[in-house]
Amino acid sequence: FAGVAGGNDFQWCFSQVKGAIDEDVAEADIISTVEFNYSGELLATGDKGGRVVIFQHEQESKNRPHLRGEYNVYSTFQSHEPEFDYLKSLEIEEKINKIRWLPQQNAAHFLLSTNDKTIKLWKISERDKRAEGYNLKDEDGRVRDPFRITSLRVPVLMPMDLMVEASPRRIFANAHTYHINSISVNSDHETYLSADDLRINLWHLEITDRSFNIVDIKPANMEELTEVITAAECHPHQCNVFVYSSSKGTIRLCDMREAALCDRHSKFFEEPEDPSSRSFFSEIISSISDVKFSHSGRYMMTRDYLSVKVWDLNMENRPVETYQVHEYLRSKLCSLYENDCIFDKFECCWNGSDSAIMTGSYNNFFRMFDRNTRRDITLEASRESSKPRATLKPRKVSTGGKRKKDEISVDSLDFNKKILHTAWHPKDNVIAVAATNNLYIFQDKIN
Amino acid sequence: MILKGQKRKLPQEDLELADSGGPVWESQRQFVFSVSLNKYQRSQELPEPSLRRSVLIANTLRQMSLEGCREPPADMEVPEPPPPAGLLHREQECCPHTASAVDKAESCSAADHASCSSRESNFPMSVEEDEDWESADSDVSLSAAISSILTVLDSTIDGSSPTAPRSPLRSLENLSGSSEGGVAWVKPGVRGHSVSYQQQAEPKARDGGPGDVTVEDLFQDIDTCLLERDMGVLGLGGGHPTGEDLLRYLPPFSNLKCLPSFSSFSPLPAGFPPPAVPSSMSAPGQSREAFELDNLMEILVES
Repeated sequence: FAGVAGGNDFQWCFSQVKGAIDEDVAEADIISTVEFNYSGELLATGDKGGRVVIFQHEQESKNRPHLRGEYNVYSTFQSHEPEFDYLKSLEIEEKINKIRWLPQQNAAHFLLSTNDKTIKLWKISERDKRAEGYNLKDEDGRVRDPFRITSLRVPVLMPMDLMVEASPRRIFANAHTYHINSISVNSDHETYLSADDLRINLWHLEITDRSFNIVDIKPANMEELTEVITAAECHPHQCNVFVYSSSKGTIRLCDMREAALCDRHSKFFEEPEDPSSRSFFSEIISSISDVKFSHSGRYMMTRDYLSVKVWDLNMENRPVETYQVHEYLRSKLCSLYENDCIFDKFECCWNGSDSAIMTGSYNNFFRMFDRNTRRDITLEASRESSKPRATLKPRKVSTGGKRKKDEISVDSLDFNKKILHTAWHPKDNVIAVAATNNLYIFQDKIN
Repeated sequence: MILKGQKRKLPQEDLELADSGGPVWESQRQFVFSVSLNKYQRSQELPEPSLRRSVLIANTLRQMSLEGCREPPADMEVPEPPPPAGLLHREQECCPHTASAVDKAESCSAADHASCSSRESNFPMSVEEDEDWESADSDVSLSAAISSILTVLDSTIDGSSPTAPRSPLRSLENLSGSSEGGVAWVKPGVRGHSVSYQQQAEPKARDGGPGDVTVEDLFQDIDTCLLERDMGVLGLGGGHPTGEDLLRYLPPFSNLKCLPSFSSFSPLPAGFPPPAVPSSMSAPGQSREAFELDNLMEILVES
């Protein structure tokens, strides 16, 4: 695992950074989601401008076999455009909230991308051949005069420069009154769920004109609303199981075999509150911003404002592991509430073997926790440490009065630089970290 | 807190409730309350505030209100507040104080927005005015202020025009048919808020007259997901829409899209409302709609 010491520890080093270097960041360029596909060959990002950029992993060069290959742009397309809801006189943001890949079944790649209201299924396919010698039309495409055609010729496929085309294959619209926060592809590869603040819908990938509402927590009287859905995910292996988290720090696991409407959960996960750490902001910081099943399907991980918790699906009354991401912020909650940072939604992710987890923090810091050794490390995504193959230096935030050299004090943290979105390659130790408008790719240096 | 380019030393903040009931705790509570109020007000100015954020702020306000009432001052006993419906009734009695409390909260918190350490001065109360009124009445006013905010939060029309403040906690399809005791208090001068779709057990609408109640009764039977927006656009209670305005803003009922709890509906071209899904309003037909439309026009012109 990542460590400062040598030996057999992995060392994270800089690989690439994508995005402009400008100090003035255009709002549209802010990355809003990052996701590797199932093989890790492709890495997709979505931004606030509604664009999707897909990077492809190039094979290692023979000259530098000790380094994995790089990710280069494979396809860029405009997934969502700003829309206007005439019924409510509201503009619908084009920001991509989530991207989820479908398992690859043929040469083409498919992904789901969603903004606040509409989910789209995109097909990304390659074209590297072109037909030439059409019988009925000229090379420039004009239709030939039929009387001039005196012989029959069969078109021949000729190689051409690789072209990657993205085309929308399905548009799943008008199913969500509230803002979509999650989409998750089911293990049956036929259905997927989408969740907004109050409802969760189940879709079939082939059917766009209807979906099944499976969870509805909207109260009959909206005065009684005190809790919203914050994230949802399908179980990686059991296609009848999914979980959803709430703004009150609870997770509900539902079994779709039990009832058509899964308002009654099968399991309810909640950690009792520690009365000694109670504050005015206890509920806000308990709000879960992300929930992810482990690859094994035996655990799930939740991210709240200050910590990451790993839950065993067989134990509902408390998590099996809790990792403090930035406990030094606990005494600053009042200020963080004032400047709205307390509402930031951080994501979290597992590595391929479920032995490590990663999540973001402020000041472009991100944290990794090794579940076996219980070691943790704080790294920074910055241009300063962006020299090729440069090893990342662990960072430390000083909480006491005395600040050691190379430490940064809590008051000096830049709360505008937040790492909300991270992704870990499903097989290798390669990570993608979104820092505002830049995408950093780090990999381990195999000793 | 540190935003880009700024360096500031902050005093140690201690927000644990270990000292619950003490003066420090009380000042913290009032500071957080005023900040919450300010946040809520500002979020209402957004065309579509985040539901999660609004719910969390509202819950925080509720919690502070309850805790404030749970820690009565020595000189006066304030009973523990009942659940939200009770809060709304109490708020009715405190109407005269509410507006001032809210305004003071806004002005105080706006002035001290950047400071966490000087929250002693952020009391949203008229502390300096009447010494006798201080502790107990401040609690009552706090509760009243929260209740009024929560009422406005809950009763705002969905889909008001961008210029009118909107609450995220109203529903497109919340058409409860029975009276449930919720009281709709209308904050004076607030556009788009004056019609409540929460049933009134006792119509105590402060700024409403018979017009509001009648309109509300009318809306019980109609699929109003579009009408709610339009009433906000027209500024019902705050403006004087003409019949032509009403006709212009109200599209044909057959084009209304209702979003019921079931999810079958047709796909749309972007931005175009779909044909109406079978719902309660489609059966009676055009004549009923026309009659209701006439009624509506009458009431709006009168108000």
